[in-house]
Amino acid sequence: MSELRTSAIETRGVPGKKRYAMVIDLRRCIGCDACMVACKAEYDVPLGVFRTWVPYKVVGTYPNVKKQFLPRLCNHCDDPPCVRACPVEATFKVEDGGFVLQRYERCIGCKACMASCPYNARFMLPRHRTYTEITNVVDKCTFCHHRVTQGLAPACVQTCIGRARVFGDINDPRSEVSYLIANFPTQVLRPEEGTKPNVFYIGADRNLTEHGRAIYNPPEVTEQDRKAFGGVSI
Amino acid sequence: MGDYTIYHHIPWGGAYAIYFFTIGIAAALFFFSALSWARAEFEPLRGRAAYASFALLALSGLVLIGDLSQPLRFLNVLNPFYLNFSSPLAWGALNLVSFALVSLAYFWAMRKKRDALARQLSIAGALLALGLPVYTGFDLTVHQNRPVWNTPLMPVLFVALSLVSGAAVATFLAAGQERTLRALRPVMLWSAGAVAVMLVSLMGTTWYGGIGQELTFMILTTGSMSLAFMWLGVILGTGVPIALLLAPVGQKTSGLLVSGVLLLVGGMALRYSILVGGQIVQTYF
Repeated sequence: MSELRTSAIETRGVPGKKRYAMVIDLRRCIGCDACMVACKAEYDVPLGVFRTWVPYKVVGTYPNVKKQFLPRLCNHCDDPPCVRACPVEATFKVEDGGFVLQRYERCIGCKACMASCPYNARFMLPRHRTYTEITNVVDKCTFCHHRVTQGLAPACVQTCIGRARVFGDINDPRSEVSYLIANFPTQVLRPEEGTKPNVFYIGADRNLTEHGRAIYNPPEVTEQDRKAFGGVSI
Repeated sequence: MGDYTIYHHIPWGGAYAIYFFTIGIAAALFFFSALSWARAEFEPLRGRAAYASFALLALSGLVLIGDLSQPLRFLNVLNPFYLNFSSPLAWGALNLVSFALVSLAYFWAMRKKRDALARQLSIAGALLALGLPVYTGFDLTVHQNRPVWNTPLMPVLFVALSLVSGAAVATFLAAGQERTLRALRPVMLWSAGAVAVMLVSLMGTTWYGGIGQELTFMILTTGSMSLAFMWLGVILGTGVPIALLLAPVGQKTSGLLVSGVLLLVGGMALRYSILVGGQIVQTYF
């Protein structure tokens, strides 16, 4: 059955087009954060902001408790709201491959893309950086476009010690991501938003993927952490 | 929750709320100036409202540009090769610039006593002024992942808020003009009434929405935003002035001015709490 496409920008299932996707097998993620480090090293991602990050939640009751990890990154949506929201087309989607990328020299810093992203995948680069001249514009994960177009895997995928992250062309039925999506129950984050995300999870728990009710009255320690990250007081 | 280690910023903070407030007043004041060509009781406002509107428009532009992380690149929004017409911000930028140009021409026509031209420009300017609160509402509406924002009410609510805040400022500009003040009272009353009805509707749909909306409703009504939203915005800034305007004291100048102050406080508080309140839950995701 062909894919139901609601927008001309969507490329999943379009013959002759690549549509890169990532499958993250949460059963294999050990929370070592090597993906975060590899990403930081690849792009000189500054302190306090992340292109990929690995939040966790402690679940269960003692003595049967465990940390559940949910590696996060830009979902390179097939119908990305950030591309719609940007007034100057600084954010755009590469038709062949589906990468959602940023033109740094064009970004005005209105933060409309950040407001429109359901996944918090975008962040503002700081005013000063040591090695990189790109400052004060919005940045995000690129699915390692520069590596993938050279035939390499994204840095986070290459470094993942548990092989929890798998990357490939979802339009190619012989690819590993197509196999995993076809043979395992997968979940995506916030499917109700209509973004058609391209990061698939195996074994995602709804406690990790939904808004937690505790945010109405967060513990004091959480508030301290939030403020350290520049968040507003709740 | 509480175990996550990375937190996210609120992209649109207080500066946007100030912008929504000032641009809404600027739009409504221009509308009153334009109305003066058709309704004699608004004549004392013609010049004053137009000047105040332009001053607030300039202030709004500075606030908006100052909030950009690359302020000088605001010119990119005016580059036809860059414009993305699926973004309400692009339409808003064109609307703002057109409104500023028409406002300037309107000044010129009024100063040169070219009344026929000024009257025509006032109609064009009033239509463009209507576009300002409409586009700011669309700025929020289009973000499908944001509780409170993602409702068709937003553009209409912003038009009503614009009218109510503008009418409140106009009462001060028309001080001493009994006839004008009497004409502004029903404008304040009906637009505040429209805001109240829309707030009830907004709270109802948010309360019975999905989990993000429910949490946002709780934060707005009894949580950290309750002072701004419920107390300053809904009760003190909308409910009390409506009661004042309906009471005999609302017929007097003092009652109108007190109502105007309260409506301005409410207008700012509502814009701020709706803007920030719609982003809080998302920062924890």
